[in-house]
Amino acid sequence: MTAQAALKTSTAPATATAAAIATDPLRDLNGIVHMLTCGSVDDGKSTLIGRLLWDASDLYEDQRENVRKSGRKAADSDLPDFSMLLDGLVAEREQGITIDIAWKYFDTETRRFVLIDSPGHEQYTRNMASGASHADVAILLVDARAGVKKQTKRHAAILDLVGVKRVVLAVNKMDLVGYSEDVFRKIDADFKTLCWKFGFWEATAIPVSAVYGDNVSTKSQAMPWYTGANLLEHLEKVPSRGSASGGTFRFPVQTVLRDGQDFRGLAGTITSGSVAVGDTVSDALSGRSANVVRIATMSGDLPSAQSGQAVALQLDVDIDVSRGAVLAKPEMRPVAAQTLEGRFVWLSEQPFDARTGYLLRTVTDLVPISTLEIKALLDLETMSSHPATKCGVNDIAVARIALGRPAAIDVFADIAETGTLMIVDAVTGASIAGGVATAVNAKADVLGDGHFILTREMLANGLCRDLSLSANDREEFMRRANEAAILLRAAGVSVAIEPPPMVDDGMDPGL
Amino acid sequence: MTASPSHLDLLEAESIHIFREAAAQFRKPVLMYSIGKDSTVLLHLARKAFFPAKLPFPLLHIDTKWKFRDMIAFRDKTARDFGLDLIVHSNEDGIKQGINPLVYAPSIYTDVMKTQALKQALDKYGFDAAFGGARRDEEASRAKERVFSFRAAGHRWDPRKQRPEMWRLLNGRLGTGETVRVFPMSNWTEKDVWRYILREKLDVVPLYIAAERPTIERNGQLLMQDDARMQPKDGEKIVMRKIRFRTLGCYPLTAAVESDADDLAGVVAETINAQTSERVGRLIDHDQSGAMEKKKQEGYF
Repeated sequence: MTAQAALKTSTAPATATAAAIATDPLRDLNGIVHMLTCGSVDDGKSTLIGRLLWDASDLYEDQRENVRKSGRKAADSDLPDFSMLLDGLVAEREQGITIDIAWKYFDTETRRFVLIDSPGHEQYTRNMASGASHADVAILLVDARAGVKKQTKRHAAILDLVGVKRVVLAVNKMDLVGYSEDVFRKIDADFKTLCWKFGFWEATAIPVSAVYGDNVSTKSQAMPWYTGANLLEHLEKVPSRGSASGGTFRFPVQTVLRDGQDFRGLAGTITSGSVAVGDTVSDALSGRSANVVRIATMSGDLPSAQSGQAVALQLDVDIDVSRGAVLAKPEMRPVAAQTLEGRFVWLSEQPFDARTGYLLRTVTDLVPISTLEIKALLDLETMSSHPATKCGVNDIAVARIALGRPAAIDVFADIAETGTLMIVDAVTGASIAGGVATAVNAKADVLGDGHFILTREMLANGLCRDLSLSANDREEFMRRANEAAILLRAAGVSVAIEPPPMVDDGMDPGL
Repeated sequence: MTASPSHLDLLEAESIHIFREAAAQFRKPVLMYSIGKDSTVLLHLARKAFFPAKLPFPLLHIDTKWKFRDMIAFRDKTARDFGLDLIVHSNEDGIKQGINPLVYAPSIYTDVMKTQALKQALDKYGFDAAFGGARRDEEASRAKERVFSFRAAGHRWDPRKQRPEMWRLLNGRLGTGETVRVFPMSNWTEKDVWRYILREKLDVVPLYIAAERPTIERNGQLLMQDDARMQPKDGEKIVMRKIRFRTLGCYPLTAAVESDADDLAGVVAETINAQTSERVGRLIDHDQSGAMEKKKQEGYF
């Protein structure tokens, strides 16, 4: 960068695209689409994304200039190497320093896109799964010369597991197969067969050439036989996050807000459905109901609110709910789960160990796990499960969990967000496994001989008898209870901690 | 409610959600307030998250004593207007040693007066979580940053120990000695910050808006003479120029741009058409390659 360039702020856009995008800087973009790209470097992933950024996004002029000036060319062509635009994300990965998810943001004329880039190789299943959990749409990339591979199947299985509902198969390098319709049709058919097994709402294949830009943001002249949308058109039509107002109402309570004597607001984000003033809502755990009298935000009260909105609900009667509760319509409440089954991606380098103290984090609750049992491991390429009792990093496990106290949980396939789960190490706090509930049960396990309940009275009379009821001491009480439970579990005793009395200080419920 | 939410509505709701999660999960959070436009948005989002209640945590400003005078005036007015609990901390040892940005290399100055000062303040008050306005679009090493970014004892950032984040679940359970930096604006871009400031009609430090100001041209960058401590060197002279700032920090380290944008709408229009990305104006990051990554590992935001 020369001194002059650094001092000057230019208003002259350099390309027609930039000019179009600059026309109304304050335009409200039509929502946000989170897009995951899966595929290996060999499939041309960086080039495809780079091309999309080059053709359709609001890149800064210095970023464009870098690409032009570099003299680097895309493979076998005279065109600039668009993959350079992803260099920041790719460089470290190539050096093997960090294998992680990277986020990139760009605006087209109408949309905000969030690009989530994660590695696709088998040893990074956990990275891909955590990246995919944020995605509204996934682009699966294949080389037209190779077609649908084992890796494509594995990727589709991971997308399905974490709840991605829309997938695009970008059949890249069509220029290297002579833009052959037959080649594309064959791959498209394989893809449709593959998707049949999964719960996708939309699965579309598009023939592209990332290097030459065919069907990336403009219609390909070389493939007149393809009449569908190009990649950009397709992505701009994907429903944005938060635009689906349908669904069953769910409001996980994050914290309680107070303003003087008269306001007690339940703060949270509506994760599904909608709510209006006058609606009756009830607490999933206690079953108690109340009516919504006010939906408060700093920008003014609302008559109604829908999925994605962060609000504070005021109820006409105090039904004693606090953080961890999930409000729902009385007739459609989530299950107050005591036991559940789920599919988990094992994220931690620490393999499963029955003696470790684990906690379960639900959307806003944190609950002690009394038993965690691995039942099977899933083979992502065949989608078959094999009985197992052990699991480690990158495994997909079917696990059964008994909770130390009930928590409001939905089956993920029915209501996604309130069915998401994270297993947490009670001591280190590490995120051990992320997963989704596949079955929830309000009935507790029949207690076996070894099952032991650590009651509050027992603790108060001995281990914790020096503690008062002050907030700090309550926390210390919980900490000791947890430690005691961890020691007992290590000794092979299945143990549950008696839940604390309702103390509403807006903090995480005690353990 | 039929209109689907705009991208700013979605970003705002996400940030509010993050603020509430952190306030509920951590014992003693603090909001890192650096007075600039990102902090202005961060503070506004925090107030929204807890409305109508008061902010359940204080603000912390790390004062290097070299901030623009307009910034300090704005900081104090903001705290007064909104009734905020503001903590100001400076590294007194550094001041005694005379560490300043005119003589010392930016990397040394930043380490002593910002990074060390921040660690001192966090330790002094025992904060277990600190909200910051960092965004993933700022810099390559931030593109992979988490919303809850964990720091081992001594505030060290270990990229390999960061926790995977899935769906909207935020796991704030701390291990021994761990603290966390929370980034509610992770998914915002620089343009969003400006759009939101306009949409919500937020006040910003006047330095963002072009005006005639005394400047010195040094190493190809325009600096503003905010007080008498910075004097022209041989061959330099003070020239009145119409300038504004894209980012605000310590005045000898913050480059201005020449501009005619004398209202916020004009600034936003210029910003959105900007030729160079935001990082060009920040001298610190040019000091050494991979600067940001290194500073993060040392405990800088």
